[in-house]
Amino acid sequence: MAVGESQLESGTDTVADEDDVEARVGWRYTVARIKQDTTARWGLYIVAAVLSIAVYAVVDSNLSLLTFGLLSDFTFARLLPIFDHPTYIPPPGEGTQHMPPYFPLAEQSWNPLPAGGTLEHPLGTDHTGRDYFTRIVYGTQVSVFVGLVSTFIGLAGGTVIGAVAGYYGGRVDDVLMRLVETVYAIPPLILIIVFTVFIGGANIWYAVIGVGVAFIPVFARIIRSRVLSVREMDYIEAARAAGVRDRNIIMRHVVPNSFAPVLVYATLQIGVTILIVAGLSFLGYGAQPPTPDWGQMLNISHGYMHSNVWLSIWPGLAIMITIMGFNLFGDGLQDALDPRIDD
Amino acid sequence: MKLLKYTIYRLLQAIPVLIGISVITFLLANLGPGDPVSLMLQGQEHSEELVRSIEQRYGLDRPLHERYLTYMAGLLEGDLGQSIHYQRPVADLILDRIGPTLLLVLSAYAFALATAIPLGIVAANRRNEPTDHASRIAALVGVSTPSFWIGIVLILIFAVKLGWLPSSGLIYPWRPPSSYPGISGHLELYYESIRHLLLPMIALGTLQMATIMRVERTQMIESLQGEYVKLARAYGVPERTILRKHAFQVAQLPIITIVGLNLSTALGGAVLVETVFNINGMGQLFVEAIQQNDYQLVMGVTMLLGVLFVVGVIITDISYAYVDPRVTYGERE
Amino acid sequence: MSSEPLLRVENLKTQFFTEAGTVRAVDGISFEVYEGEIVGLVGESGAGKSVASMSLLRLVERPGEIVAGEVTYKGETLFGLEDGPNGDLRKRDEMLSNEEIRTRIRGNEIAVIFQDPMESLNPVFTVGGQLREFIELNRGLSEDEARREAIDMLREVGIPDPEQRYEEYPHQFSGGMRQRVLIAMALACEPSLIIADEPTTALDVTVEGQILDLVDDLQKKYGTSFIWVTHDLGVVAEICDRVNVMYLGEIVEQAPVDELFYDTKHPYTQALLESMPRPDRTVADLEPIEGVMPEAINPPSGCRFHPRCPDARAVCKRVHPEPKVVADADGEPHRAACVKHDVFDVGYDESPPLEGAVDGEGSRRTDEPQSELAANPAGDEPGGDGGE
Repeated sequence: MAVGESQLESGTDTVADEDDVEARVGWRYTVARIKQDTTARWGLYIVAAVLSIAVYAVVDSNLSLLTFGLLSDFTFARLLPIFDHPTYIPPPGEGTQHMPPYFPLAEQSWNPLPAGGTLEHPLGTDHTGRDYFTRIVYGTQVSVFVGLVSTFIGLAGGTVIGAVAGYYGGRVDDVLMRLVETVYAIPPLILIIVFTVFIGGANIWYAVIGVGVAFIPVFARIIRSRVLSVREMDYIEAARAAGVRDRNIIMRHVVPNSFAPVLVYATLQIGVTILIVAGLSFLGYGAQPPTPDWGQMLNISHGYMHSNVWLSIWPGLAIMITIMGFNLFGDGLQDALDPRIDD
Repeated sequence: MKLLKYTIYRLLQAIPVLIGISVITFLLANLGPGDPVSLMLQGQEHSEELVRSIEQRYGLDRPLHERYLTYMAGLLEGDLGQSIHYQRPVADLILDRIGPTLLLVLSAYAFALATAIPLGIVAANRRNEPTDHASRIAALVGVSTPSFWIGIVLILIFAVKLGWLPSSGLIYPWRPPSSYPGISGHLELYYESIRHLLLPMIALGTLQMATIMRVERTQMIESLQGEYVKLARAYGVPERTILRKHAFQVAQLPIITIVGLNLSTALGGAVLVETVFNINGMGQLFVEAIQQNDYQLVMGVTMLLGVLFVVGVIITDISYAYVDPRVTYGERE
Repeated sequence: MSSEPLLRVENLKTQFFTEAGTVRAVDGISFEVYEGEIVGLVGESGAGKSVASMSLLRLVERPGEIVAGEVTYKGETLFGLEDGPNGDLRKRDEMLSNEEIRTRIRGNEIAVIFQDPMESLNPVFTVGGQLREFIELNRGLSEDEARREAIDMLREVGIPDPEQRYEEYPHQFSGGMRQRVLIAMALACEPSLIIADEPTTALDVTVEGQILDLVDDLQKKYGTSFIWVTHDLGVVAEICDRVNVMYLGEIVEQAPVDELFYDTKHPYTQALLESMPRPDRTVADLEPIEGVMPEAINPPSGCRFHPRCPDARAVCKRVHPEPKVVADADGEPHRAACVKHDVFDVGYDESPPLEGAVDGEGSRRTDEPQSELAANPAGDEPGGDGGE
């Protein structure tokens, strides 16, 4: 009866429509949308900046990424000669912490902890006299490294568990999902601390693994629900009928088709991970001194709150901006991949 | 009646998860290289016999699965074991400390809901206007900032710089005023209690506020585009009523779920915020237990936080089922 | 028909200002609705029917805006512009304010039935509660009276057990039942005009038939006028008195329903009729309209239908026809906007046919005698009650 339906028979236009749909979900379209989306663009800028700082800090140091040792002479100062490399300033004398509160410190005539603003120490020095700016820069490494690696662990573990549970269903699904729910039920920070301390002893590597494991459930759930919907598609049926092995079906067809929402989620998850690790370090169970790490720096500066407030400000700002970058980018990616809600 | 059945069904569903939590915490606490006996002896000279007698006393000499079963048997009777560090029953310690944490978490939620819902609605209603942009930026900052750092900044501004609010501790309104020096009447007690609660509440609640606001905004936008809103408009319903009733009710449903699921981050955040504000709650207890390698206490606290989360999710699920007429009981995931 | 129409729409234009450009969704349509009649608004998806009907209630959402025209209802100006002192257009003084439209017109004078009964009812309120709210609001009844009225109305539209169903939620109703609820909602507010925006499109055929019968009965009983928006000429044949055929924001043909079917004057209407499935034709016999309707953002020059029109000639590309009276049916005008009719006098007959616009099949179609069509115009319906 419908006039609209009768048009469908006229052929060519329908095909054009399908092309259009494909163009809308393809990578090129996504990239185009990211370019258009202010949010995503800014997110990308921040993430790119943070990543390059992190990479730079790795390259420009005689430390390996894996050891996070003390800062050496090979520091930021070498490429940017306007900033002197950190010099040792003796720790403040007795009673520093009992000094009357003041804000901001720059008004103070005596200055046990340089408050910054000088070329030598743009952000001042910490309690042992190390240049704060350099430490903030190096802190990027830890945050980005932990964020990426533990998100990857969560993603990989979650993909395997979610794909297997969703694809096989039945009892396998039941057991795996109960397990996932159990891990999910313990607040991540608590789980990670227990894991780190009781299994490994406070050590950044165990923290990374702990965070990754703690976030397996969220990824497993998403992948599973995607797999459940993809599983019913005709081409999966066809592959199965053609005798393709289960593992190949999962890896070649099911997983790639579930990837877009997971990618968005992973990007947002990097932010959450950095947030958690900062908390972990703040409590003293993440990166250990003398590795420069933002959370740990906040832990230390907490004791010097009354002598130099800025020590408590900079690392927090660094955390905030980094996480914001990943969140903005993730949001933008989400909009680009799912045009349902247009802004 | 249906609701009762659903409640029981959800509780039964939670049992394997609760057992799972106990297994995981038990394994984590007992498999680690940390040796509780040497910890208890604190590096004192000790003989083999002493070690063995302590092991015997705490049942550490028996195989793992036996110890787990003993622990579970105790759990069923409400016995969470004995804290090695405090030499007190774990259950007692938890009862002592759970009040402040609940006070903190619940007030943080109250703060989050009271601010996020109106802001989300306004943002949705004035979509792409300056108000919307401002609240979206606020939400972005909120989800990107660690709660403990918000706490630190709040202390720096309101306690250190301005001196308006106290920077540490809580005053518990359920204790008599006489238990605090310098507080005479109940009114003053409540006043002081709120003053102490304000900063930690905001520190812990900001993340929740930001998350809830984002969801509220999206849901309201979606709801305002609904056919039922068009219908209400076509029948002359005032825009205000549409916003507050027709679109609002539908948009609130996902918020209930979010509140339940976010309990996990809120409880984790409580550990950090309690540390920053020096509040003697479960979070502090947990940190102390970890520092002292007090595995019995760690198990107890972890178990309890897990249980709190599971119960919270069940409560929100049930309220969802109660609020949303479309839920068919027992079939929801 | 009585002399003064209930609703008069003159040269109504509604446009959407999008990033891609201005979409002229409704581009200067005029029609009338008289008391007690059902007027059809027919066309393909995207022709602007829904926008047109929503414009009457000033319910067009941003970025849409009514930019010109005049809508008069019972002597009141629902919308009207006049030339301001600076030569710009401004709203006329007698045009009702937003508040007046909301309280005096929407619901109690002009009610709406939407297309999708599944989405139109609010899922979290009871069906009765929603019905009662609208009745209370539009008829000024107390809660109890409104409740009684609502239950009566539910019974009236054929919902069994209305007292019990009153307390139930929309998801407990089937699609057809929900559409009955929406009809009850519209009638309960006692409006003089109901705009039904494709109300049966989402329903299956048997339910559609029941709903159409119900509306037919209730319309006779209450004497309410209807604007029936649809893309389905079968439905039009079944219930409409007069029909407006829309194409790309314009009304291309306007006639009493029998006239339209038996003496079709516009090639587009003709094409619509030929693409309709009917018992006397197999699917292979159907003649789909060539191509798709162009975007209203950049309509074709001249007659907007010319790229798809089997009768198109060179002149059609040039001349934009306004609807003109081309025939007279018992004192009622039959308007069409097609230059092939003599009244236009723009040299259609001398104009050469358009090359490549229509393939051989299309031209063959025009050569066929049209008697076959006239024999059974409305598919499964015996073609209305009047005849020629």
